[in-house]
Amino acid sequence: MRSRVDGRVVLEWALRTGALALLAWMIWLSLAARQRGGEHRAATSAALADSLAAWTLDPRADSVHVNIDQLPLGAERDWLAALRRAGAAVSWSAGATTPLALSVEALNDPAGGVRARIAAPVGTGVIVSDSLGVLDTVVMVGPSASLRARAVLGAARAAAIGRTKSPAASAAQRDSLAPRGAVVLGRAGWESKFVIAALEESGWEVSARLAVAPGIFVRQGSVRLDTASTGVVVALDSTAARDARDARDVERFVRSGGGLVLAGDAARSAPFARLAAGTPGARVRPAAITFGDSAPRRALGFYPITARGDDVVPLESRDGALAVAARRAGGGRVVQVGYDESWRWRLQGGSGAPEAHRGWWSAVVASAAYRAAGELPRDDAALDPAPLAATYFALGEPVVPERAPPAPPPRPALRGWMLLALLAMLLAEWASRRTRGST
Amino acid sequence: MSDFVFATARYESGDWDSAPLVPPNIIDTIARYTSIDVAPTGVVVPLSSPDLGRYPLVFLTGHLPVRFTREEREQLARFIERGGMLFVDDHNHDIDGAFHKTATEEIRRSVGPLAELPNDHPLYSAFFHFPDGPPNTGHELNGWGDNLLHEHLLAVQREGRIAVLYSNKDYSSEWGYHPDNKRFLAVDNTRFAVNIVVYALTR
Repeated sequence: MRSRVDGRVVLEWALRTGALALLAWMIWLSLAARQRGGEHRAATSAALADSLAAWTLDPRADSVHVNIDQLPLGAERDWLAALRRAGAAVSWSAGATTPLALSVEALNDPAGGVRARIAAPVGTGVIVSDSLGVLDTVVMVGPSASLRARAVLGAARAAAIGRTKSPAASAAQRDSLAPRGAVVLGRAGWESKFVIAALEESGWEVSARLAVAPGIFVRQGSVRLDTASTGVVVALDSTAARDARDARDVERFVRSGGGLVLAGDAARSAPFARLAAGTPGARVRPAAITFGDSAPRRALGFYPITARGDDVVPLESRDGALAVAARRAGGGRVVQVGYDESWRWRLQGGSGAPEAHRGWWSAVVASAAYRAAGELPRDDAALDPAPLAATYFALGEPVVPERAPPAPPPRPALRGWMLLALLAMLLAEWASRRTRGST
Repeated sequence: MSDFVFATARYESGDWDSAPLVPPNIIDTIARYTSIDVAPTGVVVPLSSPDLGRYPLVFLTGHLPVRFTREEREQLARFIERGGMLFVDDHNHDIDGAFHKTATEEIRRSVGPLAELPNDHPLYSAFFHFPDGPPNTGHELNGWGDNLLHEHLLAVQREGRIAVLYSNKDYSSEWGYHPDNKRFLAVDNTRFAVNIVVYALTR
């Protein structure tokens, strides 16, 4: 027959075994939690600001997810990116958000002004404003649109009309430009006269040297080939460079940042050929000199350009041939225009032809001209030129649908009860041994 | 196509073709002194035609009263607005003459009022130098017409450029001879025509 002492010994063994088992379970739970790599947290846009602070202070939150129905502000996006770089797995999923991007740049135009470019889905109405108020409204008929304003005060904002969940894109002018003058070189003729007129009427300060007889030039202003005073040289024909020294001066000017516009057959002259975007072919006469409003340059004669290299950027073509092309040459830009006798457009075109001719020449010259820029102070941190693109860049691709959260870990209360039970078992085992006189 | 084609304006009233030898003489002068690519023969362009725009410098002369039609006024205004230049010479060299009174009035109605052109204007140094302003003509010096030596030319200017140049000096008579006869002149009296053409082509 078993004595009472034997029964207590068995109970003590049972308590010890139970305590050890409980301890082993707690250790296993702890190791399992560590293997799982922490805990998952999720939030919506509305709760994001508060959640970010909580997640940052919670060492177990190593996986966070944001259900975005409204794109995060720049600071929130940066915060999420910081959590990601700190080791947390950050994911996001988006509802209907409208991608929107905005840039603002000073125009290299003597009349001054600023161009705002907007990118948004086709059909989106976008309202563009600055600190003073609305600048303009555009409805996107293509993936991008631009508008011109006399000035933008502070940061410009572009917001999609009726899309309250999409934050506005904001951008500011990086620099201000001080356009330099233009130098026109070539022979005396209607083209030189009307190109000079078009540029002067657009506000360019033009100096010119036009050949009228062997060794005799008509000069207007002072022809200085340096970027301190001249932004662009316009060579209208193959007589633009008088001699090799002249050509060297133009090349040095271009390679040091100046612009060069080669019109008509100017690129045929050997000195300019090195800088040209391509070789002018045989002149194509227009079928009829009838200037339509939609494509007025079709009525001009032109020299098709055969591109010379991979660095040539085609800007305009006609009947499958390159009519306007550009390339970089050292620090400067060269724009080659195949058209000649553009003065006919101004004199024989329809209503508005003089303005169109003037605007086109000014734009061509501005696109090549040296940009004398002065940096403007601006607060980059307060700008968000492309909110959705920046979210992609900071957080990667969105997850659709939201990743299912892993099984929740044991609640802290259960762990407490387990610890209490363990202590109780050990205490009971110790008390039993002491009361029966064992050590 | 040549860069420069000498064009004479034909208008409905008056005698637009009163100086048929002037165009070949000026063409000869341009070819003689410059490298401007000039067409060997001139053209006649109706003042009422949109073709006016093909010739940005147009010469107009006559003795008789001038009365532009509505189309002529419109085309002339359009031509000037776009940067064309009209050179008008009073073949009478008579400020009390019919041509002067009517032509200046038509120019005023179509383009704007004429004003004296200063004698240091770039026109007078565009190629040859004429420090005293427009060169006098034999007809002025002989006392014909209004018996005056006209010290200035008149002009309508746009954007700092001459849009209409008006002369009472009767260059139409002065330059109205066969180009071969220049060899009999000590000083070529058509040199001022080079200035007008070069100015038109460069300013």
